[in-house]
Amino acid sequence: MSGLESYINHTVSIITADGRNFIGTLKGFDQTINIIIDECHERVFSTTSGIEQIVLGLHIIRGDNIAVIGLIDETIDSRLDLANIRGEPLGPVVH
Amino acid sequence: MADKKVGGNNDGKEKRRKESILDLSKYLEKQIRVKFAGGREASGILKGYDALLNLVMDNTVEYLRDSDEPYKLTEDSTRSLGLVVCRGTALVLICPQDGVESIANPFITQ
Amino acid sequence: MLPLSLLKTAQSHPMLVELKNGETYNGHLVSCDSWMNINLRDVICTSKDGDRFWRMPECYIRGSTIKYLRIPDEVIDMVKEDAQAKSRNRTEMNKNRGGNSSQNQRGGGGGGRPGGGNRNNAGNRSGQGYGGGPSNNAMRLGGAAGQQGNRLPHAAKNNRK
Repeated sequence: MSGLESYINHTVSIITADGRNFIGTLKGFDQTINIIIDECHERVFSTTSGIEQIVLGLHIIRGDNIAVIGLIDETIDSRLDLANIRGEPLGPVVH
Repeated sequence: MADKKVGGNNDGKEKRRKESILDLSKYLEKQIRVKFAGGREASGILKGYDALLNLVMDNTVEYLRDSDEPYKLTEDSTRSLGLVVCRGTALVLICPQDGVESIANPFITQ
Repeated sequence: MLPLSLLKTAQSHPMLVELKNGETYNGHLVSCDSWMNINLRDVICTSKDGDRFWRMPECYIRGSTIKYLRIPDEVIDMVKEDAQAKSRNRTEMNKNRGGNSSQNQRGGGGGGRPGGGNRNNAGNRSGQGYGGGPSNNAMRLGGAAGQQGNRLPHAAKNNRK
């Protein structure tokens, strides 16, 4: 059991092997941790301007490309002022 | 699970598992384009294949890439490889060469 | 819901596939298998840097090279119908767990976030504009995909600095 079952229908943050950050609702997963993520947004970090959110919609992300799946606390997340958060973008996973 | 469709190509509409969703027989003796893991690309006449997607191609040409821009390949700079076996495990993409064309950005917002 | 069930349901729908090598493919899903190998038709391939494009009538992509697939929003609602018939077990499991099985129309979604999350997603699902049949549909995803064809590579670039 992967423990992901309890994240279903909750907002999660996915960090993929190329260093991107996707936020959305976890709708499903399988034994290889391929996941379905609904209402997916990408958050693009930058040191010179605020976080840009790009609306992407429904996604299947392949498990072997996923580094982290984290549960988002929506009340905390909704208090974030994304436009004023700066940060270094993540680099890709080095194989 | 066990339903094998020999040579069948019913587009996988209701069957999830079967031999292959790719019917390579339709490409036999035709020119195909292949992309490999790592970025190489080649094109040649498909002479044979097996279930693991190993391919035999003849009159194969590889499209060469700039050493400092490894994913930019040049349509005009090629090298001839002749008769080759392509390892199935290294294949990323297979498509018929016929109809493949470089186009201008089709997504420009009007 | 299993990712591969969703993918199977998405057959004949337009989609965008990004490969691990950064190339993206826009096309209609013809078929898929349990390894996520896919056949697309009427494909537009976009290079990693997002400035070169190719048209190809069809292509076969090995599942293991896929990074993600972007699927039209309405497809997830179509799975539910055969999901009921198919994976009753799963539903049962969710029920036993109590809490969150009630069919999941969370109000919030992206639209509730202050940071601009509601650019255009929240209402998409509820089906306006999908009545027009497949060509209409294709146009829509073409548009969305186009946006992505242009933007994602840049986003990816930023990330890579």
